[in-house]
Amino acid sequence: MGDKPIWEQIGSSFIQHYYQLFDNDRTQLGAIYIDASCLTWEGQQFQGKAAIVEKLSSLPFQKIQHSITAQDHQPTPDSCIISMVVGQLKADEDPIMGFHQMFLLKNINDAWVCTNDMFRLALHNFG
Amino acid sequence: MKIEIISVPGTSAADTWPSKTITMTDGDYDYLIKLLALGDSGVGKTTFLYRYTDNKFNPKFITTVGIDFREKRVVYNTQGPNGSSGKAFKVHLQLWDTAGQERFRSLTTAFFRDAMGFLLMFDLTSQQSFLNVRNWMSQLQANAYCENPDIVLIGNKADLPDQREVNERQARDLADKYGIPYFETSAATGQNVEKAVETLLDLIMKRMEQCVEKTQVSDTVNGGNSGKLDGEKRAEKKCAC
Repeated sequence: MGDKPIWEQIGSSFIQHYYQLFDNDRTQLGAIYIDASCLTWEGQQFQGKAAIVEKLSSLPFQKIQHSITAQDHQPTPDSCIISMVVGQLKADEDPIMGFHQMFLLKNINDAWVCTNDMFRLALHNFG
Repeated sequence: MKIEIISVPGTSAADTWPSKTITMTDGDYDYLIKLLALGDSGVGKTTFLYRYTDNKFNPKFITTVGIDFREKRVVYNTQGPNGSSGKAFKVHLQLWDTAGQERFRSLTTAFFRDAMGFLLMFDLTSQQSFLNVRNWMSQLQANAYCENPDIVLIGNKADLPDQREVNERQARDLADKYGIPYFETSAATGQNVEKAVETLLDLIMKRMEQCVEKTQVSDTVNGGNSGKLDGEKRAEKKCAC
């Protein structure tokens, strides 16, 4: 059937870009958020580019590596793209842990930005 | 007190998935004691526990669950009256560790639940990890089974004297302030590792003995008969002591 749908292409290139920035220099992640963006990180809410970058930059590890196991993308009725990621991560020398992350991407002035971001570690039996 | 090791089963939490209930393959013990290692990321909690249970470093990953524990069987001898040797109890120790979740979110009450003793660790080569001992202490006091649980303070990485940022006096003063024992350990060489855990076990067993004595007194009054002791059940009663 030829090319993948456009939302798949945009979604997967966003995901690749996001985790590359996250793993190399997460202080640069501000570029993908706007002041109306929301982040929910392990249940904690952050709003706005500055607050989100502050949170992500201050996570207490030196190195982090993400490995994407699967990703899914859909177009929304209002021309956004919703993406879900399942993967594993390793922070410094800690054991590998699973995670889930979801993004809502919106096209503003010909650029795709992330308006909503939700992250959870895939931990069970932990309370 | 004298503790000897009778067996070292290398069980991990992965074997118990997905249930919270831990099934013991061998139930031949008198007490099940759960200990929890706490402290900043990177202070060496995991290697410390590996050292205690396997007596060697092991970088093996447990990927299926977010929390991991090691196990070890020890024999605990109580002191009888006049310093004579008392009873010997078989103790099954479970040493719980995090997988580093504390970097992503704060630890919840569920994590502290059921632990009977705490190994509060910092890194002798990191002043920051020592400063954070106070935060861990208040988290512990807020979330543990009671306000003054049994704790030992452990300064790890004593094998790196030239990188040392925390002096012994400072650490000892803090431990004295909290009224808890302090040990300088090295997971790399094994220095004081066993001693720190054994001291904690001794504190817990002494606390339990006091509870048992109280319980036995009331049992006698009620004509009851206390059978085999279960550390887990005892621990629930401990708070009332």
